Amino acid sequence: MDWQLFGLSFVTVFLAEIGDKSQIAAIALGGSSNSPRAVFFGSITALILASFLGVIAGGSIAQILPTKVLKAIAAIGFALMALRLLWPDLEEN
Amino acid sequence: MNTEKSWTFWTVFSSTFLTIFLAEMGDKTQLATLLISAESQSPWIVFAGAATALISTSLLGVLIGYWLARRLSPKTLDLFVALLLLFITGLLINDIIS
Repeated sequence: MDWQLFGLSFVTVFLAEIGDKSQIAAIALGGSSNSPRAVFFGSITALILASFLGVIAGGSIAQILPTKVLKAIAAIGFALMALRLLWPDLEEN
Repeated sequence: MNTEKSWTFWTVFSSTFLTIFLAEMGDKTQLATLLISAESQSPWIVFAGAATALISTSLLGVLIGYWLARRLSPKTLDLFVALLLLFITGLLINDIIS
């Protein structure tokens, strides 16, 4: 086991993710949900899968997947969750 | 009661998974991971390091959220969370445009 490489990857990714949108999402969803454990497991599964794809696909991932479209869908998802919190009555109608 | 509880778990799990997964595609963490693994030729060690870091930052995030939720009133919390989610929406739109 190459601990130096492990440490380098850990520190790079840790610093990149601190305060980044997925961590902000974990704060928001973990606070608003009645099941913080589900938020934690959902979050790490998504992040691990995304970095796994990064490792196996190498530089080609941006060409295979329309990442802008995926991000746009995610943006709509986050906006809908925000609106549902601001106007909970909408759901009943 | 029991089935209702597990349903909530999987709903929360899948909505968290989907939104974060889509948001992270092509993001800088993924790019950093693939750059380091391409240079080092030991992709599994890089993957292990990245995964450990992501677990740590998620755990910190959820703990901060849980801690805040117990200190704010439900109304303030909803407003605060909604603003955070809109902020993330803004960050994503910024990613798409740039």
